[in-house]
Amino acid sequence: MYFVWKEWKENIRGKGLWLAIGTIILVSALLLVRSTSLSYDQGLYILLINLFDTLIYFIPILYLFMGAFSIFQEKEQKTLVMLLTRQESYWTFLAKKSLGMHLVLIVPVMIWFFLFLVPLKLYFKADIGTYLVFVLSMVALMLVFTQIGALVGSISRSRMQIAGMAVIIWFYFFFLHDFALLSMIQGVNHDNVKLFSIAYFLNPIQAVRLYLETGVGIYSFGHMSRLLKSFMWLQPGAFLGASLMFWVAIAFISSGLLHRKEGFE
Amino acid sequence: MKKILWLLLLFSAFIFTEKGTAAENLQAVINSAKDGSVIKLEDKIYAGNIVIDKPLTLMGTNETLIEGDGKGNVISVRAPGVTISDLKVSKGGMDRNSAEEYAAIKIYTDGNVLRNIGIDESFHGIYLSKAHNNTIENVRVKGLGKEEIAAQGNGLHVYYSNGNLLINNYVVGTRDGMFFDYANDNKVIGNEITKTRYGLHFMYSDRNEFKNNIFTFNTGGAAIMHSNQLKLKNNQFIFNYGHRSFGLMLLSANQNDIENNTFYMNQRGLYIDQSTDNLIKSNQIFQNQIGIELWASSNEQVFTENKIEENTIPAVTLGGSGRNDWSQEGTGNNWGTSFPLLDLDQNGVGDSPAIYKSSLYELIEDQELVYLFLKSPAIKVYEKMNQLMDNEKTMFEDQHPLTDSEKPNFYLSGLVIFAVIISAIIVKRRKLLCISFGRNGRKI
Repeated sequence: MYFVWKEWKENIRGKGLWLAIGTIILVSALLLVRSTSLSYDQGLYILLINLFDTLIYFIPILYLFMGAFSIFQEKEQKTLVMLLTRQESYWTFLAKKSLGMHLVLIVPVMIWFFLFLVPLKLYFKADIGTYLVFVLSMVALMLVFTQIGALVGSISRSRMQIAGMAVIIWFYFFFLHDFALLSMIQGVNHDNVKLFSIAYFLNPIQAVRLYLETGVGIYSFGHMSRLLKSFMWLQPGAFLGASLMFWVAIAFISSGLLHRKEGFE
Repeated sequence: MKKILWLLLLFSAFIFTEKGTAAENLQAVINSAKDGSVIKLEDKIYAGNIVIDKPLTLMGTNETLIEGDGKGNVISVRAPGVTISDLKVSKGGMDRNSAEEYAAIKIYTDGNVLRNIGIDESFHGIYLSKAHNNTIENVRVKGLGKEEIAAQGNGLHVYYSNGNLLINNYVVGTRDGMFFDYANDNKVIGNEITKTRYGLHFMYSDRNEFKNNIFTFNTGGAAIMHSNQLKLKNNQFIFNYGHRSFGLMLLSANQNDIENNTFYMNQRGLYIDQSTDNLIKSNQIFQNQIGIELWASSNEQVFTENKIEENTIPAVTLGGSGRNDWSQEGTGNNWGTSFPLLDLDQNGVGDSPAIYKSSLYELIEDQELVYLFLKSPAIKVYEKMNQLMDNEKTMFEDQHPLTDSEKPNFYLSGLVIFAVIISAIIVKRRKLLCISFGRNGRKI
């Protein structure tokens, strides 16, 4: 609890959380204004898909930076050394810190999304189940990039390193991962399609997107070809869960193993 | 004693008045009714599998239900000039090994009217079999869900039937929403079809008119196959979004007019294969993964005055190059921000042609999994890389692209300015917020 409270105070004094929430609020409001002319029945679905497509440009990079700077701040202010000297190991510190970060960075956005439901209900036929799938998708995205951000913060020695690494990671998940798969897609056949599927869903952005689009019922995997059936050998939700666990676990373990205690400006 | 037994018998007839008795009554009432009579039904369940063989009106209330035994057509109309209205029909035969395909209401005759009817638990909803000039209005058909194909039929099935009017109907979760087989000169207006395989499915049906219909969440919005001279106007094809889905598919369909329709957020807005001489005019094709997918086997389509913007790929030509016109009489299409266009003479037509090149056509032809990447930002990188390596092919050339004459949205700009001002105030007053939310009691 102490870590959560500490994280909260640090974040509201900083600019990152305000910037993230401000961006999300602004983008949501702008898209809502643009969508008010949409039909009552389909408007919600169109808005949510457009909102997701816009927010994926912001959330990964913002949460990478916030996760990284949150850890790095502990190094800068020497609080990390103090904590480790007294009662914490780096693993326990990281676990508590991660929990604090997730709660502080995700809960305010969730609160905003539930407030956002009010105007949605006024303009569109709002299905709560559909909306929960959307909120869950956004939470998954924030969770995974905050944890990867924590890894960046743990292994960095300077703010420049953080900036460089965060941009490279964002660029990888946003462009390079899919680009690499596209480059080898012509070699995919029934024998290796499962492997390709694993690689595809390892990109959390794609895993979240497919979960969202199938979860809200707009993307249908009915009447699939044999190849596609082999590709979708798990439910989208299971793929997302696996991708999430993989990256959170990898980021957490790597943070513990590769962390550096000292940081400088 | 005899009197008591008679009394008990009479008493039991009142107590055990089940639908069987009612059914006999309904069929008996129909049998005994005169031509042109009006039969008013009550708020109760009548057993189905009835046959109407004379012109009459069967009128229910909102709670009237005619329920079949699951072994045949619930209502068969075998006389012309029948009107059925304001009732529900349920439990038609679902047997696929029977001599015929059953329906909730099967019409074999001409000039009938079906109005305000709810249908569920039936193979087909309404089946017009060699039935002409009928009106089907405000009928709601509920199927088993769009994943179920073989085990159920279509919402409205029109077979060898001409000149019918289908208006303001709602179909959800059937195999195909409306299926036309060898059916000509029908009018389909204001219907809503959702969560089916194909919202509209045409086979060998010519000169039909479709106006103001809405197709959403189907595997395919409308599949027009081997059908000619149709008019599709003011329809909406939205969220037909599954893997390899489409808003409208033209397959071996010729001389059709497709005007003023909206294709929004489909996997493919229009899919055209083996089709010739179709006019695609003044449609809104936007935010689809692929705006128009055109196979080389298709020739002489004319695309004019369409607004085609914000699609991942505006148009793609597959399997070679066909002969299609992307403008007509000096009027091309509005491609939004897809192409940088100058219009120095301000005549609304760009000063240079819009030429779209892409390298994705090969991938799309060869590998169906490519569709999973169409929303990925990596697609743009892939296209850029191939542009640098000169691996592209021209997809289309619009010689007379239209420039955007819309005025900028001042409302949105105003909102952005407002948001920036609010953000600045929040940043400036952040310290106050920190004190309020942090509750640490000290100023920072």
